[in-house]
Amino acid sequence: MAYELNVAHLYGDLLNTYGDNGNLLALGYYAKQMGVELKTTVISLDDKFDPSDWDIVFFGGGQDFEQSIVSKDIQNKKEDLTSYIEDGGPMLAICGGYQLLGHYYIGADGEKIKGISALDHYTLSQDNNRFIGDIVIKNPDSGDEYHGFENHNGMTFLGEGEKPLGIVEEGHGNNDKDNSEGVVYKNVYGSYFHGPILTRNGNLAKKILLTALKRKYPDADLSKQEALEIQPTF
Amino acid sequence: MSLKSSFAKFAGKSSYWFLHTFRSGGSSFPGKITTKIDPDILKSLGKDYDVIVITGTNGKTLTTALTVKVLRQKYEHVLTNPTGSNMEQGIVTTFLTDHKTKNGKNLAILEVDEANVIKVTKYIKPLAFVFTNIFRDQMDRYGEIYTTYQKILDGVALAPEATIIANGDMPIFNSKKLPNPIIYYGFNDRPDGELRAHYNTDGVLCPVCQHIIHYKFITYSNQGKYYCPNCGWHRPELRYQVTALSKLTPNNSKFFIDGSNFNIHIGGLYNIYNALAAYSVGKFMGVSTSAIQKALNDPDERVFGRQEQINVDGKEVTIVLVKNPVGLNQVIDMVGTETEPFSFVGLLNANYADGLDTSWIWDGNFEKLTTMNIKQYVTGGERYKDITFRLKVAGVQDNQLETYNNLKDAVANIKNLPTKRVYVFATYTAMLQLRKQLATDGYIKEGIA
Repeated sequence: MAYELNVAHLYGDLLNTYGDNGNLLALGYYAKQMGVELKTTVISLDDKFDPSDWDIVFFGGGQDFEQSIVSKDIQNKKEDLTSYIEDGGPMLAICGGYQLLGHYYIGADGEKIKGISALDHYTLSQDNNRFIGDIVIKNPDSGDEYHGFENHNGMTFLGEGEKPLGIVEEGHGNNDKDNSEGVVYKNVYGSYFHGPILTRNGNLAKKILLTALKRKYPDADLSKQEALEIQPTF
Repeated sequence: MSLKSSFAKFAGKSSYWFLHTFRSGGSSFPGKITTKIDPDILKSLGKDYDVIVITGTNGKTLTTALTVKVLRQKYEHVLTNPTGSNMEQGIVTTFLTDHKTKNGKNLAILEVDEANVIKVTKYIKPLAFVFTNIFRDQMDRYGEIYTTYQKILDGVALAPEATIIANGDMPIFNSKKLPNPIIYYGFNDRPDGELRAHYNTDGVLCPVCQHIIHYKFITYSNQGKYYCPNCGWHRPELRYQVTALSKLTPNNSKFFIDGSNFNIHIGGLYNIYNALAAYSVGKFMGVSTSAIQKALNDPDERVFGRQEQINVDGKEVTIVLVKNPVGLNQVIDMVGTETEPFSFVGLLNANYADGLDTSWIWDGNFEKLTTMNIKQYVTGGERYKDITFRLKVAGVQDNQLETYNNLKDAVANIKNLPTKRVYVFATYTAMLQLRKQLATDGYIKEGIA
């Protein structure tokens, strides 16, 4: 393969619900078509996250118990993760991962669980309700449409500098109030899509791969990679 | 018995008689009528029975079926609930329609849904509970593994004297202090090594110190001889154990428990756990080893939708029900023991009974299929696009893959497959639709086997 990208799977052994791993499989599938080899490493409890080691970061969601453990550990990686993000590092964060990038979230039992405040959102919980079902969103800037399945108790409210990943056409989205779903901040994408998001939305996988390639190989001719056509899978 | 209970029983029995005489079915409705009239009806229905409750995510149905077989070696009459009737109303119907013996205690072996354990123990104090396992399962309906276990324990708390017969290889069953006597069963069939579970595995945090647990060996998923390298927490002492595996094929397993040889006419390591659970209950109830061997070796009973074999114009078609990642990975391993070349059919639906969310297929190790001697892949079901893309990502080539958006054509095509053996993986409603189509085409009889 002509290119190689190093992927950090943040807490991959603890946060991996709802087929999150499918995001990495889809990323690998499209990477192969671009002539790119992905090397994935799980970065977990007590491991150091060195921003210069990684070209893509994937951060999944998990059960409350595991997320509360991650919330404590990730405080030690807060500065390194923030600098990776501010430096334009591409990242995909789903559900719990998305929540932990913000200021805090309220767990199912009402406990306030601390995030790393790398992004300016926060997350509340609903009483005895979850947003569950098929969801379709559209990004107003790119016109991209994303299809997926959502299943979350959290209600996330975006803050300064954050744009939604899309406007909800069908489903609930971040909070069922402001029509937003997910987040885009620099090269970070956050979402409540499970399903997993990249298996149904190959164009987002392509976008993340291209960003990472351009960042790592600034002088390379990537016109072939940019020309890759992705067939819909939904 | 109170007048209200008698009337409730009469109403329930009458509706059962009506439904069975004039319709085919009725396992939940009579229970519904009965509990409506007398909400406490289980108390009077269950009072002449010793009850054993079998619960957990996977293996409830087969463990229940095997346990009933084992206990019939010693007990003349054993009551059990039919497949799919593991909620409160189905259980009421089960008791309602039993013809119990007049003398002495009767025995009931009940498969009970995790959240319904408390609905049983509110009225009946079981002799024992069997905990098979707890895995991630249809998460649009169920909660997390920890909340599922807590639901079971909320029910067990009402019966603190009942013995718990638990899968000792499953860490979660050793995570809470309970007043009940506990007997553990598990595997001890291989030498110690030093392992961690695959990263995409649930339930690998030590409940004492929250470090990632390690293993001396892993049987599958997060089960095995676990220990915490940080605080020393470890697998409890096993009372009953699988001491060796001697032969595994897709429809037969030979193994040793506590040094005695056993043979079951069903494949898959997960089913050896189910047999071990049935053995443990048998031992607990005083059934002899030779009687348990005889019961488990009896080939006559197939459990509905679980490895059912059907002849389609000379093709040996095996239907396997799949519903969650751990179960899926286990049946993938099971077909991996096939020695002949075969064809693989994957039928995916996403109705309520299947789970509305198809994301669980991405936690299945379909990549492993590509290492097997599979000549042809077929995909179908209402969510055929999802399963087709999953197989492509796993590495299945387009020229090996056929996709059908309707079951009629998929069934019609089975006779054209290039192999004699065919394995069909189907979600619950896809399996029902497939059986219906096979019945319409005359390959099987209508209705539930």
